[in-house]
Amino acid sequence: MIQIRPNGIGSGAANSMEPAGDLWALLERSGHPLTRSNTLATNVGGASSFVDTHGTTVIAVKFKGGVLNVGDRRATANFAVMYDRAEKVLPIDDHTLLAISGSFARAMEVVRYLRTSFKLFERTYLQPMSLEGKLAELAKVVRAGIPEALQGIGGFIPILTTFDHDENEGRIFFYDGMGARFESAEFGAAGSGSMQIRGVFDYIVKTRKPFHEMTREEALREALYLLDIAADLDAATGGWAKVLPLATTITAQGIVDVSEDELKQVIAEIDAASPGRGLSLR
Amino acid sequence: MYTPFDFSEALGHRKDYIEDRLREGSPVVGIAYDTGLLLFTIRRTQRKVYEIYDRHMFSAIGNQSDIENVRLASINMAHQEGFERSPDDVSLQRMVGFSLSPALKKGYGDQMTVPFVIRALFAELGKSSSADCFFVLNFDGEYRRAADNAVVAGTPSAEDRMLSVIGSPLRDELPLAKALKLAAEAWAAGARDAHKRRNIASDFDESDQGSPLKGVDEGDADDVFLRDELKVGTIEAAVLERKPAQRTEARFRLLSEVEIAEATAK
Repeated sequence: MIQIRPNGIGSGAANSMEPAGDLWALLERSGHPLTRSNTLATNVGGASSFVDTHGTTVIAVKFKGGVLNVGDRRATANFAVMYDRAEKVLPIDDHTLLAISGSFARAMEVVRYLRTSFKLFERTYLQPMSLEGKLAELAKVVRAGIPEALQGIGGFIPILTTFDHDENEGRIFFYDGMGARFESAEFGAAGSGSMQIRGVFDYIVKTRKPFHEMTREEALREALYLLDIAADLDAATGGWAKVLPLATTITAQGIVDVSEDELKQVIAEIDAASPGRGLSLR
Repeated sequence: MYTPFDFSEALGHRKDYIEDRLREGSPVVGIAYDTGLLLFTIRRTQRKVYEIYDRHMFSAIGNQSDIENVRLASINMAHQEGFERSPDDVSLQRMVGFSLSPALKKGYGDQMTVPFVIRALFAELGKSSSADCFFVLNFDGEYRRAADNAVVAGTPSAEDRMLSVIGSPLRDELPLAKALKLAAEAWAAGARDAHKRRNIASDFDESDQGSPLKGVDEGDADDVFLRDELKVGTIEAAVLERKPAQRTEARFRLLSEVEIAEATAK
């Protein structure tokens, strides 16, 4: 527990010359497992019977005025479907979303970490953390997971999407397992189904138009098509026959979920245009 | 030789030292209104009302460095607790009672250190309005919980006057605009009371030439005093709102100049 010390020097306070507003430092001091690299006795690797739950496919595409995130609802552990209502696109502040794939436990902890870390910074310094700062914070937590990821558990890959008020446009950042950060001009995808649909993004951009020139409705339709293809080609990605996917937009006004009614309508249209599907939505 | 007498005398000296420095602090008013909690003060340059956590805010009088110290300790504590357990587990009872109060008390009694100069007012928005509360934390570690309103000022007499101005309004019939007006009145009463006592000590009174209160009726004096203070100071007010417009958990909002001006216009 943090205490202000009787000599007037608070933990992390201004006059102690320590960095304040740093959640990582606070958790390190308290010995929280997030900040300690895991030291399993043996390399469990792929041979272990221990399998953590994984989120599957998430997609982010730009559109005129913002960014759209779409994700299926499935979370799997090996060949088992652990959960079919997983939410894998999560707000980390008023205009930033994190779409997560890979280890569910780790990703959820990271989402909570980022939310708390951004708020701690803003409340301490009375100004919001910069976009660069937030991206670096995410890189730090991705990187901290490497020892576990090497042992075959806990690896996760995020896509961070945000509305940049300075540039007045939506932005998409994706990461690799080391914490390297890349910015995408048009789209990003992560998770088990993402490699299967990688080329489809390029096909859409080359034959139709760049995502950032699409309307929100056009982008939503393309993103749902992409998710449908991912569900077809990847065993771990959930389709929408049972549970609707989640779709969320970020614009200058903030984060808004696409309504179920709208999703149902677009999905019904896609289903109707897919000959031989033969299954109607609930 | 260090005797029991020295001990109590030393504490007395420390108390005098601290209270001397608190006396001129610009009071802070906390009022529960129909849909939230309000903290109100008048500042010169430095911010005075701060967000601590999703449902917590804080303001204080005293030494700037000590205020920062308590503010940062509270923020760190709340965020660590909120992350390691849950935001629902962050409470003033724990923060003030178990961490801040013992540390202040220790600092107050430790003859080898400069004591904290602070009198702080915390507000917590509960799950329902009946769980809302204020905490007043004093430099010696003493704290008390209050439900509907609470104040901190430089002297006990100023605090008494402020509380009597606020009275006990029915919370459900107190919208934010009215609460702001009431808070401004209470602030003026408290600040003027502290000011008057200061003047008595220095042989100076409100009827002197140059005083804006010269020839003013007692009934109008608080208001004239307030308008005069606002020539050099700025109202700072913040709320914790039960029904926020945003989708985040944070309930804190600094009031805009327009909102404040409309509510406190004559």
